[in-house]
Amino acid sequence: MAAERLNRLWRRIKALGKRGQLDRDLEDEVAFHLAMREEKNRQAGIAAQEARYAARRQFGNTSGVKDKTRDLWTFLALETLWQDFTYAVRTITKKPGFATIAVVTLALGIGASTAIFSVIESVLLEPFPYPDARRFFSLEIHDASQNRPGGRVQYVGPEYLDYAEKNHVFDRVIANDSLDVLYDHGDGAERFHGVVITPGTFEFFGMPALIGRVMQPADYEPGAPPVFVLRYKTWVSHFAADPGVLNKSFVLNGAPRALVGVMPPRFAWGNGDLWVPEKPIRSAAPVDGRFPPAWYLIGHLKPGVTVRTAQADLTVLAKQLAKIYPKDYPEHFAVELVSFTDMVVGSFRTTLYLMLAAVAVLLLIGCGNVANLLLARATTREKEFAIRATLGASRWRLVRQLLVESLLLAICGGLLGIGLAWFGLRSLVALVPPDMIAAETVVRLNGPVLFFALALSMTTALLFGLVPALEAARRDLNDPLRDTGKGANGSFRHARLRDAVVVLEVALSLTLLVGAGLLTRSFVALRAVDLGFQPDHVLTARLPLPQDRYKTAKDVTGFYRPLLARIKTLPGVIDVSETSTLPPYGGIPSDIEVKGKTPTEKWNAVFELPSEGYSRVLKTQFLQGRPFTDAEVNDARRVAVINETLARRYLAGENPIGQRIRINNLENFPDPVSDPWFEVIGVVRDLLNDGVHRPIRPEIWIPYTITGSAARGILVRTVGDPLGLLNAVRQEIWSTDRSVAVTLNGRLEDYINSYDYSGPRFTLLLTSIFASVGLILVVTGVYSVVAYATARRTHEIGIRMALGADPGSAIKLVVGAGLRVIGVGIAIGVAGSLAVSRVIAGELWQVSARDPVTIVGVAVLLLLTGAVACWIPARRASNIEPILALRHE
Amino acid sequence: MAIKKESPGDLLQGTLDLLILKSLARGPMHGYGVAEWIHESSQDVLRVEEGALYPALHRLELRGLLSAEWGASENNRRAKYYALTTAGRKQLAEETEYWRRMSGAVARVLQTA
Repeated sequence: MAAERLNRLWRRIKALGKRGQLDRDLEDEVAFHLAMREEKNRQAGIAAQEARYAARRQFGNTSGVKDKTRDLWTFLALETLWQDFTYAVRTITKKPGFATIAVVTLALGIGASTAIFSVIESVLLEPFPYPDARRFFSLEIHDASQNRPGGRVQYVGPEYLDYAEKNHVFDRVIANDSLDVLYDHGDGAERFHGVVITPGTFEFFGMPALIGRVMQPADYEPGAPPVFVLRYKTWVSHFAADPGVLNKSFVLNGAPRALVGVMPPRFAWGNGDLWVPEKPIRSAAPVDGRFPPAWYLIGHLKPGVTVRTAQADLTVLAKQLAKIYPKDYPEHFAVELVSFTDMVVGSFRTTLYLMLAAVAVLLLIGCGNVANLLLARATTREKEFAIRATLGASRWRLVRQLLVESLLLAICGGLLGIGLAWFGLRSLVALVPPDMIAAETVVRLNGPVLFFALALSMTTALLFGLVPALEAARRDLNDPLRDTGKGANGSFRHARLRDAVVVLEVALSLTLLVGAGLLTRSFVALRAVDLGFQPDHVLTARLPLPQDRYKTAKDVTGFYRPLLARIKTLPGVIDVSETSTLPPYGGIPSDIEVKGKTPTEKWNAVFELPSEGYSRVLKTQFLQGRPFTDAEVNDARRVAVINETLARRYLAGENPIGQRIRINNLENFPDPVSDPWFEVIGVVRDLLNDGVHRPIRPEIWIPYTITGSAARGILVRTVGDPLGLLNAVRQEIWSTDRSVAVTLNGRLEDYINSYDYSGPRFTLLLTSIFASVGLILVVTGVYSVVAYATARRTHEIGIRMALGADPGSAIKLVVGAGLRVIGVGIAIGVAGSLAVSRVIAGELWQVSARDPVTIVGVAVLLLLTGAVACWIPARRASNIEPILALRHE
Repeated sequence: MAIKKESPGDLLQGTLDLLILKSLARGPMHGYGVAEWIHESSQDVLRVEEGALYPALHRLELRGLLSAEWGASENNRRAKYYALTTAGRKQLAEETEYWRRMSGAVARVLQTA
């Protein structure tokens, strides 16, 4: 049987080349038959003329026979498919507007959803190149009395070793700590972000070196020759990817270290530039003038151990440790395991999922639009199909015609969509706020998702192409021929389906617009937050000092005092200050005591170590008292300025000036301050000190000359653009001490932007783009449906106007019908937005997710744009001459 | 293929194929000749419709049961002569045997009182 089929195929293929021959042969064969029959008839005594007619009569429809016979020899299905295809191309290009809208709509849906999901996949689902990274967890001690998430994730040496050795739930535990690594490359010092790692780190991640080797157990031992491993990115940027640097010695932090390996591109543990080995020791005391390492612990859960069991086991351990280190554990705490991804990606997760939801809605609106376009178009073509059917086209042929057209649109949309996805992904990656995603993450286009989006839009196109096609095939062929398109009852079911799609589109678009509106209001509110200081025209830089030479307060003062004086004399500089933190982010936390008070719970605050110019550089406002004098700073007097919050919380109803405050943490510093009591000399209006979003903590400023410990930097208020002074400032720093690095430098405003505003801005920008595209799609959707329905009613409108109706009433008729549908959509959309308000609530700041102003505003916007979309075709219809309308076919 | 009950002279498709094969068993023949032969040898009972005959001939040719060649007819016209191939001969034998069995069986059923 198979052999026979093959034979038949072969004969057909042979026939393909001589199509003309086949036609002539058939012609001859039939002619011969007719001639023979005619001759026989004549022989039977029939007159010549009649003999011919009789022969023809008996043969029947000669062309029918020829067609049927010829078809046997051809690849019929393929050839008609080709005909359908060329016909489809012709009909589609005849109405380019329709085709463009459909294709662009599909492409937007496919492109946007693929791009967003690709980001989600790369950032959230598979951000790390390390095997089994899903079972990496960090350990967090969460203070149960604080109602905000997060907690302590770093542990001193002995504490870390206890967790690492005494737990029953991790099979591997490692830890890391950050280290400023100063490297003098000849033109000045440069700071690398060093990551100190514990034994087993490279085994933990299971990644071999790209060149050279990773750390061996012996490298971690005290007294071993110092070595380090370099990150790929740093190798390329600083050493031009030169393999010759391997095994060379570099002077890092004043001591030689050998480079033993370079890691593959995606290895970026701790986002370090380089990694140095260290074995944690059972001592929590400062070593060599440095703070003891604060180990950030990370463990790999044993197979079969759940997060819950692990938390239970570690809680037991933490309770024991809390007795040994009572200072480091809150009274009530919970031990939480935080997945590696959550730790790095954190809040960006909700943002991305929100974007995914928005894009899914967009894709749905797009599909709805295409569906409506196809439905409307199919209805206008009923007559065409009826005529084709009457002329002998089979039902399947008609259905197939519509399917081919839909498929063609879907394919064009798909191809454009792939392009858009690629382009969109590139723009998205450029837009993603820095530090929001893991350093290891590589964002790539996701094949399966692209395929899914393509499949979805193709299905939509086919499905909604098929509905009218089947209907056209089913219905009585004469109906559409009799129906001249006059009156609104043309095809009632299509009209209902179209209206339903519009309702859905309007509802979905409203949800998107409400989201965009809420985010806008939230962002405006965020930008309006009073920082309590003026961040414009301020240059900031962190200056890591070589640890071997800068240990005491005297060392540090010896560097800053001349430096500040030099910078202040630079042209374009208004004022300068030393600072221990970057406002509005933080301060050093400490327990505090106030003389004469015996509170029941622990009191705490953050403190800063500024110089005398601080309040002038940041333009803070004093409510009471005064700032430090130059002399007070120089002499390291025990004076303090406090913020309003501290005064209100701990010194309520008293005059804060003259009060005495003890900052306990200063005793633990590597350069300790004994008996750290300070006298309050001033109170400032609150400055934000925990980011823009979070409430202000009690804060204390004391002269920087008090201790030599803690990281330092400078704040410079400038006349013009702060970046214009960067080089001059750097020169002054290096003429003071060549081995000091200048890092994290830039405009203070830019830092605040990137930490606090870029995330919300990213969400807002994307949501606004999606909402606008959604609105445009919906408006075109409404317009096309109303325009189509109006065209169908031109005749009716003509009659009405001939009978004396004025154009206004015609407009009212059309717009009214359109607005009813839009109104239903808006009602459903408002209900839907209220129902899903929880989804967006986490992204909002000081705006309710059910903000009535936004919802009403968006509803009015949709209603107005919808009305315009209805009004255009309505006006066109009302302008028509009644007599033309009556003749309208 | 339409089967019209009211004209008993029409043929079922399978039957038509069998009759064509049979008519060509005597030697190559053109389409007209096949129709005439069937008509005559059935003593004017069976009439092959041309509308069915030619598609059937070509279908058999495509299936490789017939071969075709152009030649001159008895009155010197250009005519397409069909001939049985080996596969055609085999098919004829099988179909004939099948037909015998079927018609015999049908006849026996009809004869049963």
